[in-house]
Amino acid sequence: MTAVARLRNLGLGPDQSLKVLSASGQLGYGIPEKAYRAGLERRPHVICCDMGSVDPGPAYLGSGTMATSPEITRRDLQMVVSGALQLGVPLIIGTAGTAGAQPHLDATLDIVRSIAKSDGLSFRLAYIPADLPPAFVKAQAAAGKSRPLGGVAPLDSATIDGASHIVGQMGVGRLLAALETEPDIIIAGRACDTAVFAAVPWWLGYDKALAMHMAKIIECTSLCCVPGGRDAMLATLKRDSFVLESMNPARANTPLSVAAHSLYEQADPYRVYEPEGVLDIASARYEAVDERRTRVSGAVWHPAEALTIKIEGAERVGERAILCAASCDPRVIERAEIITAEVEAMVAEIVPPQPEPYQIFFHIYGKGAVSLFPGTSGAPQPNEIFFLVECIAGTAEKAKTVVGVVKQFLLHHGFAGRLSTGGNIAFPFTPPEINAGSAYRFSIYHLLEVESDAELFPVMVEEI
Amino acid sequence: MMRLVDLAKVIRSKNAGPLHVTLDLMFSDQAGYDHAAASPSLGRAAIAGVYGIALEKVSVIPYPAAFAIKIVIDRPVIAGSPGDCDVYGAQQHRPLLEIEL
Repeated sequence: MTAVARLRNLGLGPDQSLKVLSASGQLGYGIPEKAYRAGLERRPHVICCDMGSVDPGPAYLGSGTMATSPEITRRDLQMVVSGALQLGVPLIIGTAGTAGAQPHLDATLDIVRSIAKSDGLSFRLAYIPADLPPAFVKAQAAAGKSRPLGGVAPLDSATIDGASHIVGQMGVGRLLAALETEPDIIIAGRACDTAVFAAVPWWLGYDKALAMHMAKIIECTSLCCVPGGRDAMLATLKRDSFVLESMNPARANTPLSVAAHSLYEQADPYRVYEPEGVLDIASARYEAVDERRTRVSGAVWHPAEALTIKIEGAERVGERAILCAASCDPRVIERAEIITAEVEAMVAEIVPPQPEPYQIFFHIYGKGAVSLFPGTSGAPQPNEIFFLVECIAGTAEKAKTVVGVVKQFLLHHGFAGRLSTGGNIAFPFTPPEINAGSAYRFSIYHLLEVESDAELFPVMVEEI
Repeated sequence: MMRLVDLAKVIRSKNAGPLHVTLDLMFSDQAGYDHAAASPSLGRAAIAGVYGIALEKVSVIPYPAAFAIKIVIDRPVIAGSPGDCDVYGAQQHRPLLEIEL
């Protein structure tokens, strides 16, 4: 009997306690082992993990690669696969392989199959791709069923064709469909973080709002504790509330720390938008059970009238090369912006930006390079500055050529008032010009209204 | 005058998706929260001034349940696009440290 079939046969419902173990909010970066083992000893009914996010930027979705190392990804997957199979409980993993597109899902599935082979494990695996066909996205956009988020441009055909991968964030519905196939393990491509953790509670008929609020908190494991951390978190859900407990005894869930977690990485601390509806936590209540546990209740779920999927796409914008250099000369530091502008003009004469265009970015650390906003001027002059010169061009050769020319002109530029005629900059090593791979950008970050998501996120079943 | 940095327990920034930066100010108790929430220095106009950006790019959301105030600002560059300088948006809280309440 599979783990999900066993769970179904238990006949759990809102009058019984349902224990959900959140093993990882970032599978592949290293699950803290002691707290995870403590979580297994509590005999959870399901183990859930999130494996990805847009947070690390567009490169992973664009290139189809994982942010996490193969070694630690395998370690973490081995821990959760073997833990779930030993307990005989379902394992659900969302946003496989950092960005949840086909190459990320395939790579994750390959590791899981390899673990099964090497450890002699057999199980039923359900997996759910999350890639959206460009033709479908175009059709929806043409039908007026898409809208951009924030300052992103409306969808057009060129943008859709330019994206190397387009994924949709699947909601709880597709995980419920996967549960119906009664697998042992579910691995989803791009999925809402919450859906992974709310699926089993919804499937068993627990309150949707409570389950979603619980999911929203435990998808970051013990981040909602004082002190916050990455240790496994156990949530125990009942009819009218859930209780949170970190599996590291040094971490406490307090009413304040749990309430404060609603702020984290959220633009709106009161509402969480999901494909199937909106979670409203303005009326949530947080009460201490004891020094380390908090009981949460009171959230409200508003079902949506139409199914809305958030879609993400990334496109390659060019190849990147960088130059690393620094200075401690007060005149170079004072005039750094003038020097770099003059150097850029000279570089444009040597390497004309047409017909092969390129972009140069001078990140001058020590002089405001970290700030996205202009409101940080007036800082005192630093003793040292670091030049991170970035070039994005059509080819890696061109990008490296440009930073190479920048290097030589920055080193020897005879700016007004110069003392340092031996060289304006210091290099920490040679070669100081480094190819940094392809550069990407998020080109699609839109909402798509769909009639049904069943065909977009098909459930595949494999006996391993 | 009291400086925000002396009253707040946490002053942090982070992306809220690739299009926004969220700045969270958290206080130790009700009194600290009330003092900050009442200060015009943490109003939308003041924050827009401190960051050097237009008023319509700023929202300020009180969150008394956690003695916190959330400020949300549009990112001038989508996270990770060419020209970005803070992919996670984790280092954009600096201008808040200068604020006097």
